[in-house]
Amino acid sequence: MGLITKIAWRNIQRHKGKSLVIGSILFLGAFVMTIGNGVISGMDRGLQRNIVEGFTGDVVIVSDKQESDNVFLEMMGKAIEPINNYTAIKPVLQKLDYVDRFLPAGKNAVMFLSEQASNPSFTLPIGVDFEQYQKVFPNCLKPIEGRLLRPGERGVLVTTGARKEFYNFSGVWCIPESCTVNYANMDKDARADSVGLTIKDNLVFMGMGSDNATTDVRVGVKGIVRYRALELIFGHFSIIDIESFRECLGYVSAAERAVEVPQETKDLLSADESSLDAMFGSDAISTGVSSAEKTAPMPAAAPATEGQPASPKKVDVDAGAYNVIMTFFKDDVNLDKGLKRLNQDLKDAKTGARAVTWKKAFGAIGSMAVLIKAALFLFVMFLFFVAIIIIVNTLSMAALERTNEIGMMRAVGARKGFITAMFSGETAMLSFVFGGMGIVAGFLVIAAIPLFHITTDNDMLQLLYGGESFTPLLSAMDIGLAIAQLTLVTLVAMVYPAYVARSITPLDAISRD
Amino acid sequence: MNIIETKGLRKDYALGSTTVRALRGVDFAIEKGDMVSVVGPSGSGKTTLLNIIGCIDDATEGSVRISDQEVTGLTDRQITDIRLHRIGFIFQTFNLIPVLTALENVEFPLLLMKKHSKTEVRARAEKLIEEVGIKEYMKHRPAELSGGQRQRVAIARALVTNPDIVLADEPTANLDSVTGEQILELMEEMNRLEQTTFIFSTHDANVLKYAKRVVKIRDGLIVKE
Repeated sequence: MGLITKIAWRNIQRHKGKSLVIGSILFLGAFVMTIGNGVISGMDRGLQRNIVEGFTGDVVIVSDKQESDNVFLEMMGKAIEPINNYTAIKPVLQKLDYVDRFLPAGKNAVMFLSEQASNPSFTLPIGVDFEQYQKVFPNCLKPIEGRLLRPGERGVLVTTGARKEFYNFSGVWCIPESCTVNYANMDKDARADSVGLTIKDNLVFMGMGSDNATTDVRVGVKGIVRYRALELIFGHFSIIDIESFRECLGYVSAAERAVEVPQETKDLLSADESSLDAMFGSDAISTGVSSAEKTAPMPAAAPATEGQPASPKKVDVDAGAYNVIMTFFKDDVNLDKGLKRLNQDLKDAKTGARAVTWKKAFGAIGSMAVLIKAALFLFVMFLFFVAIIIIVNTLSMAALERTNEIGMMRAVGARKGFITAMFSGETAMLSFVFGGMGIVAGFLVIAAIPLFHITTDNDMLQLLYGGESFTPLLSAMDIGLAIAQLTLVTLVAMVYPAYVARSITPLDAISRD
Repeated sequence: MNIIETKGLRKDYALGSTTVRALRGVDFAIEKGDMVSVVGPSGSGKTTLLNIIGCIDDATEGSVRISDQEVTGLTDRQITDIRLHRIGFIFQTFNLIPVLTALENVEFPLLLMKKHSKTEVRARAEKLIEEVGIKEYMKHRPAELSGGQRQRVAIARALVTNPDIVLADEPTANLDSVTGEQILELMEEMNRLEQTTFIFSTHDANVLKYAKRVVKIRDGLIVKE
């Protein structure tokens, strides 16, 4: 064993009290740092699972005309620019080898109308083809009353959060069609007010189009649902079928795109208003079609023959407008690199669309996740700082108490470097033993926590947990980070005490005698 | 040949607004192999003189030469190396490293030198431990040794590097008279065997009979030899 190591180890054993004090601080510091790193990693993973996999995807594609990246939580539900050329964007995305799956959706604010309320309120439904939604976001919605939407069906799935908002605003309690009131799920206030309560199984939404024209759409409530996690945040977003959404917002719907518009009508619609002469020339666009014909309703489906239903027109749901495309990268794709590539590919294909990260698309929540991480990190650094102060104080006192010993060493020929190495060796040894124990203890606690299934309904805690249950996680990098933090604490803490020790002269030892 | 030479040595200490003149111009020389006792009452400057000769303290003015090398004005590192290679110390309170055994304490200066193999270090240390008469206690720590035994370890440690001079400041002050006699006999024997120059400070008359030369100091000046 080297001389310094021998002296350091024996001094630790000789000064057991001080060694225990410093060791305990290092143990606690390393333990808390490891737990903190585990909580942060668990939160990251949980947010990844619940927000990314449960709601937004890795990135969200929006129109180039969209000004704000915060498309989900913009205050007052500012209108999101429509994407009218999804049929052109879809094949581009399908060809990209780094894109795993994607879901186009409508997202905008609409007003919820009720006879019971004098003023309308806003709500934020997400319009989707529900069959596609379930493929891209499997098992993210759970019906607690009624059922989920069937393929191609029109209707709305109202979240428990939205139902509560509707009740608070208008006194309307909505239930699924063909269901009775489930009083167990009813709000306390609503239950108390059950006599005067208005029960509805369909809702009227009013949207405003780009031409400021409004459209009312009545949709049947098919189910009351909960998101898998973060219900208070996601609970603002009920799920509505895409065609109802489009009609409400005055978007081009898939059904409209499916209509065969005669060429004359197309030409008329696309004619330049200034070419009045052209309208009346021999090549007139209009051929004297009567106004009744111009405003004739869409041709109805062929009448049903006896015993057979009317043949519906086949509609490509993707032909209509959307607002966002939630997109997942493949597992091995780095988010920042994937985003950069996707934006380049969208630009090269002249899609008129761009992609933003889920954090930017989710505005305040993305920022809040960063804030919570920063707060946790600051707490760990604060402990770090306190640990350094205590260790510096204890070691400095220890150095002064050993003035005779250190002074004698200097007298017989030990250089200042030897004294520094001796003191550093003692601190490093304590750090390795006790700090190492702290990291191991932290690792064991992190591994054991999921076994207790700690869950919460509180949404701030859910953000901290990264979901409903507390599942901190330690990767090799987190353990490496804890070791680096411990090393830094040790190095910083030994600077001043080592300086005190090396400043002791042989004369100090003799003078004390 | 003079192993130590001082010329016009002065040492002043500032005590608040007062200046204390511990040495007032000491001219002093010691030959190789000498056994010199520096005597004087408390506050006479004998410890200060030994500290400056031992490169533990700096002179305010004057020159100190050890083995014909000027040691005033050197860096801390150079002075430390001179202490390691040329000077041995025996303190009044022994000042052994408490966590090392007697043998390891004696090995300590040799290990600092980093010139010898572990085997050579061990062999040299064991030889000296035997010469000072505590072979059976070499694996004991200082806390397990008597005062006399600790001082023998200190003597062995002071001699292990074959220094030019050994400085002993009141080496028998904390020992009973019998043990003190034994220690002084040992130092005399080492002086004879190793031809190491010994300088010790004392105000014990019994110690003086072992010295070949006695230097009296009073009020910072050498008054008599």
